[in-house]
Parts: sequence; C-alpha cells; structure tokens
Amino acid sequence: MKMTKFFAWLAIAIGIIYFFVPLLGTFEFSLRMRRGEYSFDSYGSVFSDIQFQQTFGFSVLMAIFTIVFGMLLVVPTAYWVRLRLPQMRPVMEFITLMPLVIPAIVIVFGYLRLYNSSSYIPFTGSIFGTNVLLVMSYITLSLPYMYRSVDTAMRTIDVRTLTEAAEILGAKWPTILFKCIFPNVMSGVLSGAFITFAIVIGEFTMASLLNRPAFGPYLQLVGANKAYEPSALAIIAFAMTWLSMGLIQLVSRFSKLTPSKA
Amino acid sequence: MSFLVLDSIKKSFGPTQVVKDFHMAIEKGEFISFLGPSGCGKTTILRMIAGFETPSDGTITINGRNQSGLKTSQRNIGMVFQAYALFPNMNVFDNVAFGLKVAGMAKAEIATRVTEMLKLIGLEHLAERYPYQMSGGQQQRVALARALAPKPQVLLLDEPLSALDAKIRVSLREEIRQIQRQLGITTVFVTHDQEEALSISDRIVVMNAGRADQIGTPSDIYNRPATRFVASFVGTLNIIDAVVADPAANTIRIGENVITLREPIAALKAGDKVSVALRPEAGSLSESAKGDTALTGTVVSSHFLGSVVRTKFEVGGNQISFDMFNAPDKVLPQPGETVTLRFAAGDLLLIRD
Repeated sequence: MKMTKFFAWLAIAIGIIYFFVPLLGTFEFSLRMRRGEYSFDSYGSVFSDIQFQQTFGFSVLMAIFTIVFGMLLVVPTAYWVRLRLPQMRPVMEFITLMPLVIPAIVIVFGYLRLYNSSSYIPFTGSIFGTNVLLVMSYITLSLPYMYRSVDTAMRTIDVRTLTEAAEILGAKWPTILFKCIFPNVMSGVLSGAFITFAIVIGEFTMASLLNRPAFGPYLQLVGANKAYEPSALAIIAFAMTWLSMGLIQLVSRFSKLTPSKA
Repeated sequence: MSFLVLDSIKKSFGPTQVVKDFHMAIEKGEFISFLGPSGCGKTTILRMIAGFETPSDGTITINGRNQSGLKTSQRNIGMVFQAYALFPNMNVFDNVAFGLKVAGMAKAEIATRVTEMLKLIGLEHLAERYPYQMSGGQQQRVALARALAPKPQVLLLDEPLSALDAKIRVSLREEIRQIQRQLGITTVFVTHDQEEALSISDRIVVMNAGRADQIGTPSDIYNRPATRFVASFVGTLNIIDAVVADPAANTIRIGENVITLREPIAALKAGDKVSVALRPEAGSLSESAKGDTALTGTVVSSHFLGSVVRTKFEVGGNQISFDMFNAPDKVLPQPGETVTLRFAAGDLLLIRD
C-alpha cells in the first residue's frame, strides 16, 4: 500500500518537473533582460511594441469572428443531426475529425489552389477576402472541438421532446432554436468558444501562408530576432491558454449547478 | 358532429403498419384514454393528432376543421409529455408563459393568465423556481399548466404519470381529472396502466396491434370485454376453455360441469370449442351450490395477498383463480380439497378471439 502511494507521488513529481521546469526556466529567463537583476522589462517591451498590439488585436478579432460564425454553423447542424438525421452522426463525426488528421499546411495549400486570385472564387484577391478565408480556415481547424463540445451539451438535454414541446405551444424554428435549445447548450457553446479562442490566438501556419498580420507569425518573428521577448511572449501565450481553460472549467461547473435534463 | 374525429387513420413506418384503419369520434369535453401494451400504436395516434406524425391515410378533424396540412404549431393543441419537457433555462412563470408569449399576448394579460394557471395547479408560490429545483410531480403540474395556458382546443397527455412514484401518480391523476372537468377540455390520455385508465376516463380505447379492440366505458371494458385480448389485458381474468354442449339451450361443458350462458350460442354447433371468461372476484365458495352456475374442481394452491386470498382450482384442464376477502378466522382451502365456485349467470362471458 505504502509502495503504491510512493510510486503515485513519484509519477506526479516527474510530471510536475517535466511540465513546470521548462516553464519556470522560460519565466526566469524572461525576467533577466536587465543585467544583474530580475525585472519585467521584457514584458514592458512586448506590451509597448505596436506590432504586438496590432497582431494581437487582429487575432482577437479573427477569433471572435471564428467563434460567432463557427457557432452559427455548428449549433444548428448538431441540433438538426440530433433531431432529424441521427443516422448521419457517424458521418458528422468523421467530417469534424478531418482537421485533426489533415495537417494545417495541406489545408492552406488546398485553399490557395482553390481560392487564389486567378480562380473562380478569388478570396485571396483582396485583404477582406483573405481575412474571410482565414476565418473559414480557423473554423475548419476548431471544428473538432466546437462540434464535440456542442454535441456533448446537446446530449444532456432531451432535444426532441423540448423541440416538440415548443412546437406544440406554437413556436416556430427560430424561437425553438434561440430560446429553447441554444440557452440550454450554452455551457458547450462557451467551452467551444474558449478552446477556439486559444487555438486561433496561437495559430501560425494558416495566418503565415495567407500572409495576414496575426499573433502567431508575430511570435515567430520575435523569436527569430530578439532574446528575452520571446520568453515573455511564451509566458503570455501560456497565461492566455490557461485563462481559457479556467473559463471552460468555470462554465462547466456553472452548468453542473443547473442541471438541464428535460 | 363530434368534436374530434379520427377517420380511417392508417400509419406505416416503412413496411410496418403501426395503425390499421382506426376510427373514432370524441365528443367535446370527453376524457378518452388509449390503453394498450407498448408498440400497439396508441402513442402514434396521439402524435398524429398533435401533428408530429402525418397519417399515411385518413383524416383527423377537430371542431369541424380538417387538420391535414396544418403544422403542429397551428393546431392549438396542448400536450403533456412523459419526460415533463419543461424548458430548463426558464423558471416556472416563463415556462407557463411561453405559449402565450409566442402567441403575441400582451404582458399584463400573460401575467394574469399565468397566475390563474399556477393557482389552478396550486403552485403559485413556486413561480420563480427552475425545473431542476422541483420534484417530478411539481414539474408535471407545471407542464400541465403550460399546456393549458394558451386555452387549447384539445389536451393530449402522453403517459404523463409514468415517471412518477406510485403515491404521486394517484393524487396527480385525480387532480388532472378534476382540472379537466373544471375546464371542460377534450382530453386524450395515453397510458399502459389499466388502473389509471379505468379510474379517470369517460371512455377507454383498448388498442392491440394497431387496432382498437374495444371502445367503451371503463365499466364496459372491465365487465364486458369484447375480445380475448381485452379480457386478458384489463384486470385479472380466467380464460376457460369449454365445449358447446347444447347450442339451443345455450349450454357449455367445462370438465364435468354443464353451464348455461346468458349469451346465445345458437350459431355454434355441439362440440365446438369456445372460450369463456370469469373474473376472480366474481364468484364465491359454496358447499351447497350445484347446477348451471357453479364449477366444481380440485384446489391447486391458495395464496394470501393481504386484503384477499387467491385460490386456484382445476376444472377440466383449466386452472381457475378466485378471490375471497381476507378475515382473521378465514380457513383457507387446502390443495387437493374439492370446492364449488358459485357465480351469477351473467359473470361468465363468451370471448371472441
């Protein structure tokens, strides 16, 4: 019994060392910008960099569009598949898992071939079009997480009976979807939104190859040219991801307090 | 013309026909129960009235208006579901108000109507509660209030008591019946629980394999079952195999006993096999009784069931159960003992298959 406990603690200790030592090292290094003493100079340098503000702002905007349009695509689809086309669920699972299997670089090259400025749908012919394409590519990337979180939330409510109950009370489709279904899968929607935010903020391949001024390419640029700022940026990126994960936990805990079984 | 008419309704799912040529006319204010085992088509008929399913053939008319082509949301029907189906994101007030808001009613009118409905179900003090903060019985009351709030022309109840415990079930069914009488609303109730159907219905439809085996008052259904299925499904019943003795004299033979039936059997021939039914509570033991309304046989077993004692005895290859009220000084019939069961001529019913 004691030996088992010892090995359990040993495993935890190894895990903590593996994950936290590099992080602590990075953090410690990010504080060394001022010679001979610790300081937050590198963070100050990052935050005052106009490029940081621009790229971060751009990525946040892209993330918001990705979340809004992604959810407008995913929630009705997941709802419809649950309600009317349950036999399509394996197909949906397969489609939504594709972005995990196909590398982002393959997807973006596919986009560039299909939507270049000399194609029938020349998305890359304008900045606006390229931004639209970037949002669409982010929606594709985050599809596995968005679909799963929404579908899991829908599993906790009796979608069919709630729909029928609303229908017989005279409600039409928009009312049913936005007043009876959407609020009851909000925890899933928010979980999907936070994970999407975390993905979009750090994404490099799509933004770089579509030549958009996003936060991912900026991280790479700073990493290649500066010494202490990349470490500060890595810590900032970690902090944002953890904040998103914390918010997911908070949202799921909140939804546990208000069970939504029909 | 009747208020709700189901005319030649058929429904198939792929190659399976689940409702077969169903006719029924329901009067305004009637409380009708559809009773039958799982898969007999009762819920499908209810869902066709609601508009969730479209009949493969036939028409449904409510208050003289053909419902074909009308969407569920256009039918003005209230429905209570087995799983309550309250909207988890809304409190009791908002749940009850939902149908009224959808109908575009003014806020003040909604508040008045919701309060009226909550008073009707005795839950006006829980208006701010959410569904997860209430018991099953309370949730189902709210579901009833929500269904009634928009003043529907028909109320459909899809096994609304099945998910509740026994005590709540009894009190809620009485409450539902009382509210239905008070509002005079035409109600269709689906259940597989015969006691529920017998206790609250004006008429019962006993469904079997997509057809109505019998439509009648609870008393008719229980005392005069039309088919072997109805007889076996509703209550406990002895189905006894007999042979026609003399068709002209309406007599049949069960073992060595010759019994006179009240129903004429002149159309049958002597020696034809028939089935007759006898309720366990219909007879009583008698030492002296002999003749054409008594069965004599050998006791197989006696079981004490609390308020009654159920005894099985064998006559001509049939095992027949009969019930006696329990009393402290009651001497139970012992296995092997010969007993004679006396009953009224009308208690023995000829059963059609």
